[in-house]
Amino acid sequence: MPSNLPTDLDICMTTELPVNQQASRQAWLAVLARASQEDLAACLPTLGLLPEVHTIRPPEVGMMMVRGRIGGTGNPFNLGEASVVRCAVRVGEGPLGVSCALGRDKTRAKLAALFDALLQDPQQHDHLQQILIEPLAQAQRRQRQSRQQQAADSKVEFFTLVRGES
Amino acid sequence: MNQRHLAGGLVDGVHDSQHTFRALLDAMARPGQARRLGPALPGVALGGAMARLLLSMADDETAVWWQNDDAGLAPWLRFHTGAPLADQPQAAAFAVVTDTGQIPLLADFAQGSPTSPEQSTTLLLELPAFEGGVPLAWRGPGIEDVTVVSLAGLSADFWRQCQTNQAGFPQGVDMVLTCGEWAIGLPRSTQVQPALER
Repeated sequence: MPSNLPTDLDICMTTELPVNQQASRQAWLAVLARASQEDLAACLPTLGLLPEVHTIRPPEVGMMMVRGRIGGTGNPFNLGEASVVRCAVRVGEGPLGVSCALGRDKTRAKLAALFDALLQDPQQHDHLQQILIEPLAQAQRRQRQSRQQQAADSKVEFFTLVRGES
Repeated sequence: MNQRHLAGGLVDGVHDSQHTFRALLDAMARPGQARRLGPALPGVALGGAMARLLLSMADDETAVWWQNDDAGLAPWLRFHTGAPLADQPQAAAFAVVTDTGQIPLLADFAQGSPTSPEQSTTLLLELPAFEGGVPLAWRGPGIEDVTVVSLAGLSADFWRQCQTNQAGFPQGVDMVLTCGEWAIGLPRSTQVQPALER
């Protein structure tokens, strides 16, 4: 494989947006990837009648190598493999929606792909951004902050008193 | 790249590709006998056999060379299998040939090496029909005595190249000839001669 390949092939292959809008798509994809199935399903009834949803890639479960800075020197290292589920759907003749999320929940992957497809539709975008993405993003931010706070509270400072002459 | 044209892949990935693989195995083991691979996929401008072969056999380690990709199917294959594009026939693991009037020289494709003959190109050729062409006698492994095949759309020059290809065994290219839902195997071990006695 050539080394100049983009890392996330799915997103690069399925975007029709100009570069400056790609960042916002990445942001909503990140929110959708962390959302629970209940959160996504709760938003479904507000959508009204949808055109036919074509499954381009049925939800499939696979493994992905997760890398982390776990060594003493902070270099990236292979932490282990994680289950991921991915999916791609198209609503009517509209753009392609993709999703990739940790876990094995296929329903959740399909819902996330559906919402990605709808968020690319200018008519649905603002509405969905308001009722789905922003509340979820806020909730996820709060959750992350509270965990960071918990970790910070348990932090222990070690002091070493200097003994004798150095 | 227009992603609106990305069509779906195999409906039941595991079982459909296993069925295709089994049928291809049989087709290559019994050269000249047609095997049914399955109906065309909605939205994919290829015969059912060709599309199913590509989706089942290609992966991120097999470069695919397209003779012409007017229908924009390279991104479709890329999306579903991760298969990279080969810009030269020489670099291809699979070659998709849909215009049998202008088949490149068989010698232009990867021939493998004496120590690794498996590293040659496998050609997938879409033919207009499996009957109505010049009758030819196929002999070799997998064929009891002789089988007469009269494929349409292939030139005399192509068959001469096939004889050269067979003479270079164990190196050389393998071919899968498809027509709609059906496929016929033509491995490099098969000898093709004019069917004079008929």
